[in-house]
Amino acid sequence: MTEENIETEETENKLEELQQKLQELKDQEGIIGYILRGTKTASIDLKDPKRIIDYAMLSSAAFEESHNMAEALQMGEPQKILIESEETKLLAMNINNHRLSIFMEKTVNHNKLYKNLK
Amino acid sequence: MNRDPHAIALNNAIAEINKAYPDIKNSFIFTKNGTLLTGDQTTDQKTVNNIQESFENLKETATAIGNLESFTITTKNGKLTLSTIQDMHLLLATNKNADKNHIHSITHVIIPTILKTIETLTPTQPQITPPKQLIVDTLTGFFDRDSVQIDTETLLDWNKNNNDPNAQVKIETSSGKSTLCEAKEISDHRVKGKNMIRIPQKLCKTLEINKGDTVKVEPAP
Repeated sequence: MTEENIETEETENKLEELQQKLQELKDQEGIIGYILRGTKTASIDLKDPKRIIDYAMLSSAAFEESHNMAEALQMGEPQKILIESEETKLLAMNINNHRLSIFMEKTVNHNKLYKNLK
Repeated sequence: MNRDPHAIALNNAIAEINKAYPDIKNSFIFTKNGTLLTGDQTTDQKTVNNIQESFENLKETATAIGNLESFTITTKNGKLTLSTIQDMHLLLATNKNADKNHIHSITHVIIPTILKTIETLTPTQPQITPPKQLIVDTLTGFFDRDSVQIDTETLLDWNKNNNDPNAQVKIETSSGKSTLCEAKEISDHRVKGKNMIRIPQKLCKTLEINKGDTVKVEPAP
């Protein structure tokens, strides 16, 4: 087995592990859903499927605009993004070259989630 | 950069905060609509424009989850924190060693107090209402002889800062004749919303104007 193959297998295992964690996470109280986007694939699981487009746009803007702001202020690449409204919040992060956005109610402890997923 | 007294006072406050807390690298205050009200003086205009554009985009798409209240972007070198204070947004870029308690006291105590103080001290600017050109329609019959009728929207607009129900207006004709009189809402729905002023016939005679003429109308000083 070549070094490249080993690396690919490792990444795939990590991704599988992440997806398993997300499956468990989505049934937790206060979790609205998640969007996991890679370069070629994406998996979306939202309690309200009507909101998919809005949430996908917000997820994309969160990564894009955070990157732009951090770059403009020479702060380096964003590792964790948290966007909060009155009742809902979005936690976004990069994991294994995948963009993960988790939508949840404000009462959910996002720090605990972040530690569990990273 | 905005040069109104409110913005200047905030700008000075931000400059002082930046001096006192060197962990703060950049700071900006945006209005509710996303317009930049003030920012630190060390950030160049291009950066400010980029930040503003990104902030506006993010604010707009964030409506998917409600009104944007706050965001935090954690990077390798620091944090970018947006907090909503009254009806403004404060954006602070801090380095990774910034003291959480200091930042909290800035966003939750210092800036709100400054905003409150500025609001108390800034005198309310007298509102200058531009006169309106209205088309004359004559009023006949059992109407109040001394009062004219104007569109409700115009009256409401003029009376925003004045709770007097008997609004007085000044009417000036193209020949220079003018008078002060009470203004009421237009009662005839057929004339509403047509930029008209209904003037009692007797008053029209006094002012030497006819139906269809244009007069300049403004709230009485």
